[in-house]
Amino acid sequence: MLKIVDVCTRVEGHGKVKIYLDNKNEEITQATFEIEAYRGFEHILKHKKLCDLPKIISRICGLCHASQSIASCKTIENIYGIEPSEQSILVRKLLMTGELIKSHSLHFFFQAFPDLLRIFNIHQKILSPYAIIKNYPQLTTIFFELIKIGNEIDKIFGGRSVHPITVIPGGVIYNPSKKNITLARKYFQKVLMNLEVVIERFIELFSKKIPPEEFMIPNPIFLGMHNHGIFDRYSGILGFKEDNKKITNFIEKNYTNYFNKDIDLNGIDFSIGNNILVGPLARNHIVESYDIEEVSNFLSVFDKTWYKNILFTNFIRLLEMYVETFKALELLNDPLVNKNESLLSLTNIKNMDGIGVVEAPRGILLHHYHLNKENSIDQIKLFIATEINIPLINHMITNYAQKLYEKTDIDTIKKEIQLIIRAFDPCISCATH
Amino acid sequence: MKPKILISSLTGCSGCISTLLSLDIFPQFLERTKIIYFPFIMDVEEIEECDIALIEGCVSEDSQVNLLKKIRKQTKKVYSIGTCAGFGGILSLSKKRIAEPVSKYIEIDGVIPGCPPPSKLLGNCLIKLIENREIDVDIPKKNLCATCPLRGEAEENFQTKITQINPNPEEIIPVEEDTECFLKRGILCLGPITRDGCEHVCIKEGLPCEGCMGPVSKSFFSNTINFISLIHLSKKIRNYDGIFYRFSKPTFKR
Ligand code: SF4
Ligand code: SF4
Repeated sequence: MLKIVDVCTRVEGHGKVKIYLDNKNEEITQATFEIEAYRGFEHILKHKKLCDLPKIISRICGLCHASQSIASCKTIENIYGIEPSEQSILVRKLLMTGELIKSHSLHFFFQAFPDLLRIFNIHQKILSPYAIIKNYPQLTTIFFELIKIGNEIDKIFGGRSVHPITVIPGGVIYNPSKKNITLARKYFQKVLMNLEVVIERFIELFSKKIPPEEFMIPNPIFLGMHNHGIFDRYSGILGFKEDNKKITNFIEKNYTNYFNKDIDLNGIDFSIGNNILVGPLARNHIVESYDIEEVSNFLSVFDKTWYKNILFTNFIRLLEMYVETFKALELLNDPLVNKNESLLSLTNIKNMDGIGVVEAPRGILLHHYHLNKENSIDQIKLFIATEINIPLINHMITNYAQKLYEKTDIDTIKKEIQLIIRAFDPCISCATH
Repeated sequence: MKPKILISSLTGCSGCISTLLSLDIFPQFLERTKIIYFPFIMDVEEIEECDIALIEGCVSEDSQVNLLKKIRKQTKKVYSIGTCAGFGGILSLSKKRIAEPVSKYIEIDGVIPGCPPPSKLLGNCLIKLIENREIDVDIPKKNLCATCPLRGEAEENFQTKITQINPNPEEIIPVEEDTECFLKRGILCLGPITRDGCEHVCIKEGLPCEGCMGPVSKSFFSNTINFISLIHLSKKIRNYDGIFYRFSKPTFKR
């Protein structure tokens, strides 16, 4: 059996594609996206003080650090049976929006956009950032600005742009000044203006095209969070659904009815089926509404062939940034955002199991901590979006590789299947927690 | 001639790289250099000759050592970006995996510290590097106490009883003019053994230093011993893992 290996580029972290051939080299038996070098956070975190967890956990990922710390705080708050103040929740949401803007923009500009140009035959050879800058100066300026603003927003609300300081179990220790609220408002307004341009550009470039079939997701089961049907990445319930079927809702506490993991083995076991998808496109199928009128207009431009195509995720990413920025501006107008509230004390442990969930930029992020009799953490399980998507990625790249092998050589295949991988925006740091 | 740049990640979280990409000066940095290897944002194959290499992440696997040696051979100057690459970083907490600084395997020309490095610091360093000037931030000059906004005059026979490593949420107070040093309040602060440069972001929010900027001097180990000898740690804290080596592995080498 022959095995061909290639290193993935333009993804976050170190991943490899492996292509396995049968004995006669006549058929591809399997193609896989593999991540190695697990760091073992689930072991490192055992018996750490609860207050230390969010700070250590955020170091799992420099792109979804805020989601990681916030999921951790929600889990700890569940252990103490407390609810943070409204003010804390507003600041946490603003922080998550900054993170989303930066993470989605980085992926779109450096990783997805060059691929889209190639897939739709607009530009074949735009592979280095220098080439995009040269050919798309306006988009370049816009994206550099979006990335920078995302970073600045997190600096304002997190105290530091990566690995937030302000988010602690029980709430947040930050109360924005009038000056910072004004500054944040200016930033968000700028983001909205920029996104309008980008969304129009996207529609103009791609909406009339037919997305290639190999990027269609075969029989997906979408998994995501929603708040009474409305898009919300901080609070709500979980739901999964197959295409055109009814949604099954459940609360995070009952997650083991649907999935679980053994931390010493790779991967997550699902009892609801294969081909689970989390992330922006899954959220798009799970939520009934983004609660903003323009969004339905934007979406209606694309015909149905796009809806289950993983390339559509790129458009949904732009929409999500738009929606959250819009909502962030509303949050900033809420008088509660800088209301002085005292922090909750962490005194009485109510539950020996804590479970907390948020929607990180790349999808569901669920933490589960278990305490022993001495109230010390003896088991930690982290369910991370990229880990959930990997079986589906492997399924799709195997299909595509097999199809391509009928007409082209292995070297081309190993590059081609990376287009699918990148469309998922895998975060290898997270997946190798 | 524009300097040729290589940017590579080992085992880390990409937080340093994402900080770099969001710098004010990043567009300028792109324009004034020629990036020849940066897998995060471009398709690349082989490592070629270049002027400056920036490395993020700690060394936790053999294959990374080979990569580093290759980079060293092809590069005029190599810098560690962030506390992982500089001192081992957060994985120092692991009992199972190795987490070593880049400098353990190859000679480096400097460290730009922080987890991640503060944007201003990183931006200034990068500009200096492309102008072929020395960056001197890697020479630890001061500890965090030297410029701390909290009140804590040095006292003779400074002895303090430390009972907490984190203030309880309800005790977190915003810093005011006469807020006292954490150590005097019985809360452990790693300021004395941590290098300056973070602008006291945690302390200003009412939280003690945890040491993410890395050790203040090369003799981290003896410095830490000295520090511990000056304070009285409660038994519970003494038995708690990973306070002093959360971001740096002590080296026992003499
Ligand atoms: S130093 Fe900190 S920010 Fe940089 S890679 Fe390591 S953990 Fe991430
Ligand atoms: S120990 Fe901490 S709080 Fe005290 S002076 Fe040093 S840095 Fe400031």
